[in-house]
Amino acid sequence: MEKLNFSCKLGVLSRPDGSAMFCEGDLKISSFLGETIVIAGLYGPVEVKMQKVLIDKASVECSYRPKSGLPGVEDRLYESLIRNICETSLMAALYPRSAVLITLQEMHNNGQLISCAINAACLACLDSGIDMKFMFGSVTCFLTKQEELCLKPPINEKDIKAFFVFVFDNTKGRILASHTKGSFSKEQYEEALHLSREESKNVFIFFKKSMHTND
Amino acid sequence: MSVNDFVLPGDVVQTVKSVRGVTVVGPGLRQNEEKPNTLCVTQAGKLCFKEPNTYWIEGKRNRYIPKKGDLVVGIVVKKVGDTLKIDIGSAEFASLSMLAFEGATKKQKPDVQVGDIIYAKLLNAHREMEPELVCIDSYYKAGKLGVLSNDGYLINISLNLAQRLLSIENPLLRTLGKKIPYEIVLGVNRKMWLFAKKAKDIITLVRCFEAAENQIDKNIIEVCKQFK
Repeated sequence: MEKLNFSCKLGVLSRPDGSAMFCEGDLKISSFLGETIVIAGLYGPVEVKMQKVLIDKASVECSYRPKSGLPGVEDRLYESLIRNICETSLMAALYPRSAVLITLQEMHNNGQLISCAINAACLACLDSGIDMKFMFGSVTCFLTKQEELCLKPPINEKDIKAFFVFVFDNTKGRILASHTKGSFSKEQYEEALHLSREESKNVFIFFKKSMHTND
Repeated sequence: MSVNDFVLPGDVVQTVKSVRGVTVVGPGLRQNEEKPNTLCVTQAGKLCFKEPNTYWIEGKRNRYIPKKGDLVVGIVVKKVGDTLKIDIGSAEFASLSMLAFEGATKKQKPDVQVGDIIYAKLLNAHREMEPELVCIDSYYKAGKLGVLSNDGYLINISLNLAQRLLSIENPLLRTLGKKIPYEIVLGVNRKMWLFAKKAKDIITLVRCFEAAENQIDKNIIEVCKQFK
């Protein structure tokens, strides 16, 4: 199985407390075409709106912006997915009556947009230095029409029968979230889970490497 | 994980030194709930240790979190009755009573306007409550605390640089003082108030601090010589 290529840049934005640009995919195919890029920024802990204040923990909010136009229903779904992941991983109880805001901007989509956005959010959290229980890393697995599982998106979008997005933590490799689209069998799901879990280790190695070189 | 390693959230520090069962845990670490004798890392950075039993993480945090006793620089944003709301860069505005100035009484209050810059001490900083500031020490004397002059300039620096500049061993402020006469008030909350007679000097100073941000202490002086 081919390895995925990652690259990232930390601290790309000046206003947020932490920011990261995360890129997943192959740069060699053609510049800017074979990859997925997301920019994430994190503000926090900041002042919270009156109606969203929680007295025992920080309220985590996430806003996702598509490449063009206003966010639609599907984007709202990604938003809530990422918000839930961040809420479990951040130590929200340390900052009661405050808010943590995560903003994501899609730059380029080549299929694995959701996992790329989740990874960008994790790097933004690490960059801001906010307290976290664990890191989270995400991998997308594609099921082609030929019933093959692969981590790289097929060149033609029509070849995709289903795709799976898994999010793991870095301590015990537990699943934090799973998101699927399309039809598949139970065995295929389990195989995809196994494949993604192995790949997620590479994601965490990449996170460590990029944080260390930036330090 | 051992001392001086680069650690990430989720890592566990297995061997922890303690004195009579006590270990002092600084920012970026917390007690592991599953194994009470180990520590959990919550921040990316370098694991540091000081004899005999203190551990902390040196990472790059950007947001100031108030701690009791910190000396901070803040901006007055609101006046509510007898209290002032001060922006000190934390999640919530800090409150400062008008009576917490030297010599202030109910009848004779200090002249503070919205937009003024204040150097104050954190009397009380608990995460469940709003931070509380005072401009007097425990002998009711102001010392260096109080309203700063409007002729100065306020700039934001990184949290890391603020802490480094406050260290007595840091040569930067002294070296700059030989070249340019200036006044400085440094808060641990990333805010810095500067005053010099000429605008040119202010610009030079600000550029020096910007350059110092990415330099280790030894090299700082060399770099700043370029900004004459």
